[in-house]
This record gives sequence, structure tokens and C-alpha cells, in this order.
Amino acid sequence: MRHGLPDPAADAEAALLARYACGDGAAARLLAAQMTPRLYAHAFRVLGEAAEAEDVAQEALLRLWKIAPDWRTGEARVSTWCYRVVANLCTDRLRKRRTVPLDDMGEPADPRPGAEQGLQQIARADALQAALETLPDRQRQAVILRHIEGLANPEIAAILDVGVEAVESLTARGKRALKAALESRRDALGYET
Amino acid sequence: MSEKDMNDETLEGLFAQARADPPQVSAALLARVVQDAQHMQAEPRGRVRNWWRALGGAPGWGGLVTATCVGFWLGVAPPEGMPYLADQIMGQDVYVKDTTTDMTGFGWDSEEG
Repeated sequence: MRHGLPDPAADAEAALLARYACGDGAAARLLAAQMTPRLYAHAFRVLGEAAEAEDVAQEALLRLWKIAPDWRTGEARVSTWCYRVVANLCTDRLRKRRTVPLDDMGEPADPRPGAEQGLQQIARADALQAALETLPDRQRQAVILRHIEGLANPEIAAILDVGVEAVESLTARGKRALKAALESRRDALGYET
Repeated sequence: MSEKDMNDETLEGLFAQARADPPQVSAALLARVVQDAQHMQAEPRGRVRNWWRALGGAPGWGGLVTATCVGFWLGVAPPEGMPYLADQIMGQDVYVKDTTTDMTGFGWDSEEG
């Protein structure tokens, strides 16, 4: 199994987890404050649904608290381990869903000429989210982790349990699919043709 | 339209916007996560936790302690009519069967002097 980037010196989360395992309640609050927003954001972007994303993030962290006494520092970064759990939980939930084509999703708000910039930003964010949801699970997760979460390819490879080359392929195909999905909404999103 | 129309720069702009405006975590979720952590931290850990669970947790331990106390008290002050087991056990005749091998048949005892 690839764990990727084991760097205990740089893994501040591992230090907090060790403190938590020793009974430090403040460490748990700090770790929760650091990890919850990142895990929730990833789950939300993958699933596109807030309640499900909250369940996934909470479940992933619950597993982290459970494993804390047995955590072996140096084998994996805490954040990588958590992302991996979230990725797997999201995959499980996506498998239970039926695929929804992009055309069946609600159209993003269509900002009229001269409309506020905020509306256009919301429309673009909605369009990106809708386009992401048309991608196959692995492509979707790879694109989000690489281009939105900003993780490095080796860490994404550890999270998705694939090789670095596979990550590069997934992100490249994902970006092509995203461009194709967004192309039809170019005008509605306020991009010049 | 060709793919060039939605180019890398445009897509990167959408990614940048997504990075700048991440989904916001609710205070309720954060509270649930911290509560989970505190709950898990309160549980006994390691070998102690395993023994604790193997004996049925708090109810199991309660029953075990109660049974031990009752047994001890019955031993100290048995009710009338109950046979006094300690007397019965300690009062029995005990004998030891001699199983020492007879070594005299070969005359080893006389050689040893």
C-alpha cells in the first residue's frame, strides 16, 4: 500500500493526534478545526450535497479518533489518511447513486448584462460544480484534489491508491471533460465567444 | 465549438474562484466532531479497555463485584441451615500413599554403604 510523503517532522497533525491520544482535549479541538473544513470541502465538491458531505467528514474524523491510540507516526500523514477515508466514503456513496446527466441538472443562474459580479461568480461556481459532478468518480476526485485542494500528485496517488502516472492521466482526462461540459455554458457564464 | 474555446486559462480561473470560496463548515458539524473526539477520549484504552469490554463493560463489572461481595459475606457469616463448607473440607481425613520405589531388590543400598 502506498502511503506517500511520510514526513513526521512536517506532520503537525500527527503531533496533535499523539497529544489527543495522551488525553489532551485541546489537541482534539485544534485538529478538528484544521481537518474538518478541508475534509468537508472535498466531500462537498465530490458529492455536491451538504448533508452527505457533513456525514462523510464526521465519519472520517470519527475513524481518526478511534485509530489515534494505535497511530504509527511516519507511516502516513494524518491529512493523507483522512483524505483517503473521505475519498473511499464518497466513492461508496456515489456508487449507490444513479448517474445524473448534466442536461438534467438545473441551469445555473443566467446573469443579465450588467448584473452584479457576485451573481456571475455564483453562476460560475455552480456551473463548475455541476460539471464536476458529470465526471467519473476517480477523475472527479483527482481533479478536485489537484486543482482545487492544491495537493501534489504523489499525495493524490496515495489518497486514491494509484500510481503518480495514473493521477496525471486522471487529471488530464478530467480537465478535458470539464472543458467540454462547460463549453455549452460559455455564454451563460459571461465568457466572450 | 472546439475545446480551445474553453481554454486552460478560463478553467484555471474557475478553479481559482473555487479555491478562494470554499464550502463553509457549519458550527454544528464542528461541534459534533469535537464531541465525537471527547467521547472517544473518555473511553478506557488498550488492555484495560479490552478487559473492560470482555467482562461486559459497566454492567458486567457491577455484577462481578456484587457477586464477589455476596460470596465473601456468605463465607464469613453463613445463614443457619447452610452447611459450613470450610469445616467439611478442612475436617476430612487426609492420608498420603507411599509410592517410593523399593530399591533394595538389586542390593544397591548395601553397595552404597
